[in-house]
Amino acid sequence: MTTLALIYKFLIQILPAIQITLIISVASIILGGLLGAALTRAKLSSHWWWRAIANVYISVIRATPAIIMIFVVYYGLPFLIKGWFHVSIEGWNRMYFVVIALTLLFSAPVAEIFRSAYLAVPAGQKEAALMVGMSPWQAFIRITLPQTFVIALPNLANAIINLLKEGALTFTIGVVDMVAKAQMIVANNSGGFAFETYGALALIYWVISLAIDKLVSLVESSFQKKRQAIQP
Amino acid sequence: MLTIKNLTKSYGPQQILKGIDFQVNQGDVITLIGPSGSGKTTLLRTITTLEKGDGGTIDFAGVQGELAHLSKNDIRTIRQNVGFVFQNYNLFNNKTTLQNVTEGLVVAHKIPKAQAKTIALAALKKVGMADYVAHYPSQLSGGQAQRVGIARAIALKPQVIFFDEPTSALDPELVGEVLKVMRQLAEEGATMVVITHQMNFARNVANKVVFMADGQVVEAGSPADIFDHPQVPRTQQFLAEILSNV
Amino acid sequence: MSLDTNFMAQVFKTAIAGVPVTLQIVLVALIVSLPIGFIFALVRIYRVKILSPLVRLYVSFVRGTPLIAQILIIYSAFPSFLATIIGKSAFSIDPINYAYIVFTLNSIATLTEVFRSALQTVDKGQLEAGLMVGMAPRQTFVRVILPQALVSALPNITNATLYLIKNSSLAFIMSVKDITAIAKTQAAFSYNFLEAYLVVWVYYLIIAYAAELLFWFLERYFSRFQRTTTAKSFNWHLFSFKQPTTTVAAVQYDPKKELVNHAHN
Repeated sequence: MTTLALIYKFLIQILPAIQITLIISVASIILGGLLGAALTRAKLSSHWWWRAIANVYISVIRATPAIIMIFVVYYGLPFLIKGWFHVSIEGWNRMYFVVIALTLLFSAPVAEIFRSAYLAVPAGQKEAALMVGMSPWQAFIRITLPQTFVIALPNLANAIINLLKEGALTFTIGVVDMVAKAQMIVANNSGGFAFETYGALALIYWVISLAIDKLVSLVESSFQKKRQAIQP
Repeated sequence: MLTIKNLTKSYGPQQILKGIDFQVNQGDVITLIGPSGSGKTTLLRTITTLEKGDGGTIDFAGVQGELAHLSKNDIRTIRQNVGFVFQNYNLFNNKTTLQNVTEGLVVAHKIPKAQAKTIALAALKKVGMADYVAHYPSQLSGGQAQRVGIARAIALKPQVIFFDEPTSALDPELVGEVLKVMRQLAEEGATMVVITHQMNFARNVANKVVFMADGQVVEAGSPADIFDHPQVPRTQQFLAEILSNV
Repeated sequence: MSLDTNFMAQVFKTAIAGVPVTLQIVLVALIVSLPIGFIFALVRIYRVKILSPLVRLYVSFVRGTPLIAQILIIYSAFPSFLATIIGKSAFSIDPINYAYIVFTLNSIATLTEVFRSALQTVDKGQLEAGLMVGMAPRQTFVRVILPQALVSALPNITNATLYLIKNSSLAFIMSVKDITAIAKTQAAFSYNFLEAYLVVWVYYLIIAYAAELLFWFLERYFSRFQRTTTAKSFNWHLFSFKQPTTTVAAVQYDPKKELVNHAHN
């Protein structure tokens, strides 16, 4: 069989495990996004201790390798829960641990992306909203937040792709995701066709990454059209 | 000294310059006036080879040729004989005030460092910036930066100095210090071509005023001709608009 | 139930042998990939025929695929490929060489984008000013554009180095005896994985902060000309997250920049 045919064959074999990757990624994006938003709030807080907590947290996460985070959560969380609540969670689905680790990892860059995007929205936007009679909350939801989101999009896409790639370490704690599947295929072939198998694996991730980029640039250009229509 | 004939230039479908004839004589102080989008800046940038002309000829500093087909040597010769003062100064951000002036002298004109420094200090003194030799551009005000920009241009002893709206990026209170330096240069006999919206400068300092609109020279003459007896309706209209705003 | 601190102290001592290995990988990868990344950036900026799309494809692939996939491809496919050339001795190569290859290839892609965006941030007026004082384009590039671009690249190089340090923690998968590998082996005897990984974590925090401090001094030194009245103080919360923007799909236009500008207007 030619290399291309082999890659196609392995691709079909690996592909079903994509749902593990997608579930983990989507869950982590949602939870990490929420945690990131909370951190942004803390970073913009007027109380220095909130800012300090957020900064220390973010700084530590930023220096932590993904694999170490996954291991520490996987071994450390059951230890903590047992110590505090005397409940054993070692039997949990291992995907939960990955989602928690990725949530922690994702929240830090997201917090910083949200913060800089929020600060990039001119104060005049909020002031104008208040001056037409909106409440601060309305001004935030209707005026500031949508603009923040648009500014944050490109960096958010970057962070999401990073998350997707870090999620590929899921296999290290024994979840059968696409990487694990690929390793099994190679093992079944006694180590043969490794290039074709892992090539197929890389190809799948590459396509997902490109799709995320494409999606974000589509969303962005649709926002830009709106803006252009408003401007003379 | 510098002659441009039938210069044309387009960006895509839009023709910016529609056959310009332009002449600069030794000691001329020419101001280019006109509404924005009339092609003034493009004219300056094309003469100085920052932009490539589509058609037309140049005769300057021993170079005679078509603007669209200048050789590398011709371009180099032209660039070494003109000075250019930019609207937004374009000082080299990674060089001090002094280095900004010596850079061209040493690197392009191959003048020994010590001599270049002497020339540069003299130029900086002339524009009143001798006390700021060690400052970086980020530490200068707009007016100061532009005066260094002028020093950088005059230190090269160019045959002509081109000024592309040298005061438009400045806060109003800083315009005066730059105009003063330019007026002084004119009095010393420097050959200058100046795009400006400062009508007082155009009227009082220049010996020739060129009014451009829609990529053409509409009217040219002495300041008295243009400001007091404009012949063409387009010129009259422009002057009426700009003078009523003062 | 509590942490076995004796064991942790023991791991702390033995794992230190892995620190030079990690640093070695990071340094080799950086030193090799910095010049290559710079050349690749020039290839992209000057749109060199044939090469430019290839570099773009390369950057897109590296950015779009997980490091673990890249490791598996190189580590499992390269030896057999090499064996066809130099015979069985290919399998006895020190695995750290594979780590060098993987992390260098990975960093080249990141740094290409870092240098590319840095060169593009230098204002076009700087080149024009150089030409107007009579300098040749090449002279202007070397004396004016390049120094400014390198300074504006530094924060992103810091970030790229930080990524590299963190990524190097996967070297153990290629049986390199780095910090993680040593700690892991120790833990396997007694099943004290949590303790072992906490120690590894501390090591990585130390290395990452040290690198950040080092780059902070470099930035401070090289950006003298940018300093106005307020001196930049060390970013103790270590957090800029100016990620190496390896945006592949959106290279021609930079919508974010435009939007930010819109917002400022």
